[in-house]
Order: sequence, then C-alpha cells, then structure tokens
Amino acid sequence: MNIIQLVWRNSWRKKSRAVLTCASILVAFYLFSLLSAINHAVTNSVSSSSQQRLMTTHKVSITRSLPVNYQQKMASLNSIAQVTYASWFGGFYQNEKNQLAMIAVDHPSYFDLYPQYQLTQTELSQWQRKRDGLIIGQAVADKYGWKKGDNISLSSSIWMNKAGLFDWQFTLVAIYKTKDTATSDKQLFFQHKYFDNARAYASNSASWLISQGNNNTDIDKLMENIDALFNNSAEATRTTTEQVFIKEQAQQFVDMAMVIKLVVIAVFFTLLLIVCNTMMQTNRERLNESAMMKAIGFSSSYLVQQLFLESLLLLTIGAILGCLLANISLVYIAKLFADFLPGIAISTSHYIIVTVLVFIAASVCSLVPAYTIKTLNITNTLGARA
Amino acid sequence: MNSTSTNKPYITLDKISKSYSKGKKQVVVHDNFNLTINRGEFIAIMGPSGLGKSTLLHLIGGLDQPTSGNITVDNEQINNLSERKLTQWRSENIGFVFQSHHLLPVLNAKSNVELPLVLTPLNKKQRQQHAKLALKLVGMSDRAQHLPKELSGGQEQRVAIARAIVSDANILLCDEPTGNLDRGSANEILALLATLNKDFGKTIIMVTHDLNAADFATRTIHLEAYINQQSAINNEVTTS
Repeated sequence: MNIIQLVWRNSWRKKSRAVLTCASILVAFYLFSLLSAINHAVTNSVSSSSQQRLMTTHKVSITRSLPVNYQQKMASLNSIAQVTYASWFGGFYQNEKNQLAMIAVDHPSYFDLYPQYQLTQTELSQWQRKRDGLIIGQAVADKYGWKKGDNISLSSSIWMNKAGLFDWQFTLVAIYKTKDTATSDKQLFFQHKYFDNARAYASNSASWLISQGNNNTDIDKLMENIDALFNNSAEATRTTTEQVFIKEQAQQFVDMAMVIKLVVIAVFFTLLLIVCNTMMQTNRERLNESAMMKAIGFSSSYLVQQLFLESLLLLTIGAILGCLLANISLVYIAKLFADFLPGIAISTSHYIIVTVLVFIAASVCSLVPAYTIKTLNITNTLGARA
Repeated sequence: MNSTSTNKPYITLDKISKSYSKGKKQVVVHDNFNLTINRGEFIAIMGPSGLGKSTLLHLIGGLDQPTSGNITVDNEQINNLSERKLTQWRSENIGFVFQSHHLLPVLNAKSNVELPLVLTPLNKKQRQQHAKLALKLVGMSDRAQHLPKELSGGQEQRVAIARAIVSDANILLCDEPTGNLDRGSANEILALLATLNKDFGKTIIMVTHDLNAADFATRTIHLEAYINQQSAINNEVTTS
C-alpha cells in the first residue's frame, strides 16, 4: 500500500461521480483538440517554405485575374529568385458532386517552387512535353481508378473552351507522391499553356502568381516592391506570404485563432469548475478520514498531495481519452477536408499545452481542499470536546 | 513489541489549564489539572459528559495544546513542539483508537492496519509482515482481506486497535472504544486492550462510560471526584 494505490482507490470510491467527471473533462479536451488540429492545419499545413513563398493576387478580389506577363516583370526584381503562376480551374468529374482541386500551372516553373509534390525527372519531362498532360495525387487516382496513359474528360464550372464546351480532355501522365502528411494528395495539375490556348476567354491571365525571394531577402520589403511594380496599372496587386494567404482564405469562414482562444478559456474554466467541485465535495466527505490520518501522523502536505494526485488522475484520464478520441475523429475529418485544408492533425505543441493545462487545473483545484486540510482541527472533526 | 514496564512517571500533566472560546464565552475545561501516569499502566478515565475526558486524551496525544501548563511524555515536553514535530512524534509514540473506528472504506483490513507504516522507512514486505502480525494479535488474521463494510462493529474496532499498535507505539489512547459496541463485543475489546497492556507493556489511557472497564484497567480515574480532590489539595496548599 502506497500513496499511488491510495489515490487510485480513493479516486474510484464513487465510481459514477468519477466517471462523469472524467467524461466532462474528456468532452472539453476533445473539443479543444479538434479545434487545435484545425488551427494547426490553417497555420502549419503548408510546408515551412510557404512562409517564404509569396502569393500575388488581384488587389480587388482573388476572383479577378492578373496578366501572365506579370511573371517577367516580377522576375526583373533583383531580390526575386523564382516566379510562377497558376489558375483555378473549378474542375469536376462527370457531375458537380465530384469536385476536384484542379489548377492550371506554368509548366516550366511551377514544381520548382513546390517540391512537396514529388515527381521523378522523367515524369516531369513527360508532362512538360505533353500539352494536355495531367498530374494527379494518389488519392484521386485511387478514388476514380485512373492509371497513367488514361484519357480523361473533366469539366469546369468556370471555363468554357473554344469549342464552346465546358468539357476538357486530358491525358494522365503522372501520379505525384507527397513528402509529408501536410501535403494534399488530392490535387490535379495541368499546363497553363494548354489552358490559355484552349479557353474561350481571358487567355494570358492567371488567378495568382507565386514567387520566392533570394536567400536573406527581406520578405516584407519584397512584398512592398512587388505591389509597387503594379500600383499604377489597371490590375493592381496584393502580395502576402502563402501562409497568410491560406489563413485569410480559412478566416473567410471563421476566425479560427479567436475560436481556439475562446474554446481554451471555456475549456479551462469548465475544467476548473467541474474538478474543483468534485475535489471540494470529495474533501468534505472525507474530513473525518483526513483528521484521523493527521492524528496518526500524516502531515497536511501528504494529504494535500493525495488530493492533488487524485485531481491530476481524473484530469489526466479525461485529457488522454479526449485527445485519443479527437485523434480517431480527425482521421475522418482530415479526409473530409483534405482538399480544402490539408494537414489537419494534432501537433506536439498541443500535447504540451494539454499537459500544462492539466497540471494548472489540478493545482488550482487542490487549493481550497489544501486550505481546509491545513486548518483542519483534528479534535473538533473527530468528535466534540467532552 | 515493547514489553518494558516500570513505575517511573511516564506521562506528566503539570498544572494544565485548557479553555476555548464558544462564541463570546470562554469555556474553561481544565484548570490547574495534574496527573501522572506510569509506564505500563492501563487507566480508565470515567465520568459524566462535559468534564473534559476526551480533551485530556487529546492533550496527552498532542492533538490539542493546553492553554497553560506542561505535558511531558517519556521526558519530552510535547506542548512546545512545532506542528510538524508533533505530527512526527504522534506517529512514533501514540496509537489512537476512536469510538468511530475511522477505517478507510476503500482499503481492506490489512491495508488499513498498514496505513501508519507508510510513514516509516519500512519496505513493502516489512510493512505487510507488521500488519499481519498486528492483525494476528487482535485475532483478525482471517479477515485481513475484508473491507470495513464486510466487518462487524467489534471486528472493525479490532482492526482499528491493530492499526494503533502496528507501529509499536508505546501509548494507546482510546476514546470510548466500546461506545458503539454490544456488551459481548465491548468485553472482547476490553480484554484485548488488557492483553496488550499486560503482555506487551502498552500504556493505555482509555476514556469510557463503560462500567465494566474498571475490571480490566489497572487504575480507574473518576474524573469528577479526582478534580474535586485536586481542588481541595490546591486550596489546602494555598491556605497553608
């Protein structure tokens, strides 16, 4: 018999209360973990190079295009290392329920800036030579059973071709691999040149340009310089880092960082109320036992330690189960949002925050019982004076 | 277990006064109270309620501090000890048996008995051996694995006594140990305490209303008479 066994047995003395307390903690940490994973995707889903990559879009709206010759103008800046461009195709397969994350890209330069999409040199060369060549992710290939060499007809909800049709023909050239789980395997890429030549309108324009500065370039300065280039043109630009761009797109739906902060605060106070209430109730019920233990030589700090460990145990069980359940749910959630928001996963730092929260909550919840124990009058508690 | 028994004063209460506040009133429980107890005595303190029997026990056990006066146990003045030292002193020297046994309901009999040994440097095996031995002494070996709720009142009190003696404390302080028991169980507990006193030299101070207690104790103090006698002596000393 030691303090751990005593803590364990005391914790389950009132099983239903302990289970309900753990369940409340579980729900709180489950919600916190889910939102944290989504926030992690928003802030970190793209590779670290996304902080270096710059996105240049039309100043008015992302839906308005920019001339592709901006590529040369931007490349003329000394601090720019590479520039490429891309356009949103708005593709789907057979019917609009089968939406595809499909973009037309500048074939000579695009993959130099996105090394996370892994292609062999042969595959890349084949695709660059094949005008209607298509590169897809493994998940798309698996979903539709497409193989290299397949001729595929895909439709666009935006772009009509010169034949007056929204159906476009492609040949599957390569299936890219991903470097990490943060990279989506549901993307489709095809040549912007083919797109420009075939579309019925707005040729020689792109939805956005992507650039990368030279090493040690001041990113803020570079963004200013890019926008200054087109300040007086008809198509003025707005340049941000790719990370900010993605964040902004996500924040059109919801300010995730704010939601996370509010949830953390709500979770923390809910935890405090639940566990504090449980521990105070527990302590009140056991005052006689605490007095007896003090009488036979147990110090107040031993008893406080015992209560602290009990609250820590309940919080830890709830937190572990909450995180575990969130991880299970996230497998499905991540698949569901893979196109829109790749990389939904719980980060290591989240577990550190959870651990810190658990310890803080356990400490705070032990404060009132600790005071009660410290000031406990043994003789009054064990029996009235005679 | 300790079997030493001498006639030297082992516990001395010297001019003890104890009062406490009850609202705005100051209630005096003891005033210039004196008592000496020899090592190996089994004392039954009897008397009507409200006379300070339990308070006396709490003072000797270091659970409460006198307002004035000195309490010496085995040459150590305990009323000057800090809270921390007093707690440690209690764990080493005193075994408590309460009217309500206060066993932990989540622990079986053996673990309850083992509880005070958690504070000692004994290892798990040694602690279990001591607990087994203590349970054997109180005749509860066959109930070692039982939870308190599976025991009768008398059996629970036996376990509480085993818990009081397991750390080999020299002094057992028993506050109405038979108060909740039927006659048969009460006699068994009194006989057990008498055995611990005779065979193992434990100094036992028992507060009780049980009239049979006198048959088992080596000395019975009727507190009311004792206090009156002391007052008379004090008055005599003052007038002379």
